[in-house]
Amino acid sequence: MEQVIANGLYLGAQYALIALGLTLIFGLMNVLNFAHGQMYVLGGFITYAIYGQLGLPFPVAVLASGVSLAVIGGLMERYLFRTVIRRSHREESTMLLAAATAFFFDAVILLIFGEKQRGVPKIVKGVFHDFGIILPYDRIVVAVVAALMIFAFILFMKYSRTGRAMRALAQDRVAAQLMGIKVDRYTMIGFALGAMLAGVVGGLLVSITGVNSGIGGPISVKAFLMIMIGGAGVVGGAIAGGFILGMMESVGLTVLREYGDVTYLVIFAALMIFLAIRPNGLMGKPWG
Amino acid sequence: MTEMLNFSNVHLYYDHVYALKGVSLTVNEGETVALIGANGAGKSSILRAITGLNRIREGEIHYLGQRLDGTAPDEIVKRGIAMVPEGRRVFPLMTVAENLALGAFTRTDKGEISESLDRVMTRFPRLKERYHQAAGTMSGGEQQMLVIGRALMSKPRLLLLDEPSLGVAPKLVQDIARSIVAINRDEKVSVLLVEQNSRMALRISQRAYALATGEIALSGNSAELIHDDRVKALYLGGEV
Repeated sequence: MEQVIANGLYLGAQYALIALGLTLIFGLMNVLNFAHGQMYVLGGFITYAIYGQLGLPFPVAVLASGVSLAVIGGLMERYLFRTVIRRSHREESTMLLAAATAFFFDAVILLIFGEKQRGVPKIVKGVFHDFGIILPYDRIVVAVVAALMIFAFILFMKYSRTGRAMRALAQDRVAAQLMGIKVDRYTMIGFALGAMLAGVVGGLLVSITGVNSGIGGPISVKAFLMIMIGGAGVVGGAIAGGFILGMMESVGLTVLREYGDVTYLVIFAALMIFLAIRPNGLMGKPWG
Repeated sequence: MTEMLNFSNVHLYYDHVYALKGVSLTVNEGETVALIGANGAGKSSILRAITGLNRIREGEIHYLGQRLDGTAPDEIVKRGIAMVPEGRRVFPLMTVAENLALGAFTRTDKGEISESLDRVMTRFPRLKERYHQAAGTMSGGEQQMLVIGRALMSKPRLLLLDEPSLGVAPKLVQDIARSIVAINRDEKVSVLLVEQNSRMALRISQRAYALATGEIALSGNSAELIHDDRVKALYLGGEV
């Protein structure tokens, strides 16, 4: 039991961080970023290259993942999404663009890094073994770092000038503009920040699960599940969705083990029923 | 009297509709000017042109002697123009405190910002009571007070109000009208007021322009227009 909860919290912390990036981009621009999982994979490979190949310290590598993805995200917003949104009022235009960038990243990642599963040396050795819980120390480190980042993100959105401007933009674009908020600038910052979060989680997790070029799609699917559970565009919803999915996965892997690999089948079925009853998720708003 | 805002022969398209067909008007320093007319006559388009939400196609807008059209919306706020948009548009998930802070987004003078905040609180004590409440949970009248207060937080010299009486309980319309008069008098703010409620608008303004299908059909002193039958005809869609 304790083991299941510990696993769930470990998964939940990283999932919540992935979902936060996705929900930030959705909330600000009404864009469903299908390439979110690919951004995660890119972050993973950057950390793999810098920490695993070049041998530089792990924190430096994760930082490099975050910064690189922030730059990529900023450029994507500036030169792809902004131009499309300006010319087309149809929501599917940005969806198709996001899907196209996902395929593009998949191809680029495959070309540069190949199709092999890549791992890196352990960041911390040893296993925590007490209170009926067995958890390797590196997982604990990753979970704590993820939790601290979630906390920092909440504080940033709530109390910083930039965070306040982004929340205003998400709630009412026109009113935000009337307050003198530079809409273009803060949209770009938001997209960069969302991409950065994906890159950082990818970098963190390469130390545990490794990375391979094929996992971008499945990561995106999980991220979508989380914001469907919690409600799109809401910070609290993304965090709740992340931890709920982490917990369900952890419980499922234990309880349903004897039936084979059916955990996600059950989760998908449960989610379809849940969405039929609560289409906006736990905390989603019926409006934008 | 110094001229504050000047429209000369302004043309504007809004969503492919020819919304303003050569509008010329002025607002002088210290004045309250009303824009009245039926729905779709182009009143809001005038405000959208001033705030830079829409670009004008032709003509010129001058503010305090300087060209205004083509200026970025945030620069326009910094130059002292604040707008209270139609339908209130509070930031619903944010508290009253955060909404007001956003009103001062372009300002950096910390001491004076808290002074402005005190003035807004004194003017609308209700906002002080609700200071930490989410704006979306307040009543229509309270939200209207909040958006007026939010606009004042930018320390404007020209205040644009788009249909402030719309969707507000009838007995609160009086209160809002009174606070507009008081703001104009106490804060030395000029006011450009868009209203479908022409009786209210004409009562609290010194001059007014009546619009019909993107053109100015009538203009003059509000005290005279209030008794003018042609104003009524405008609302009924008739010729002036």
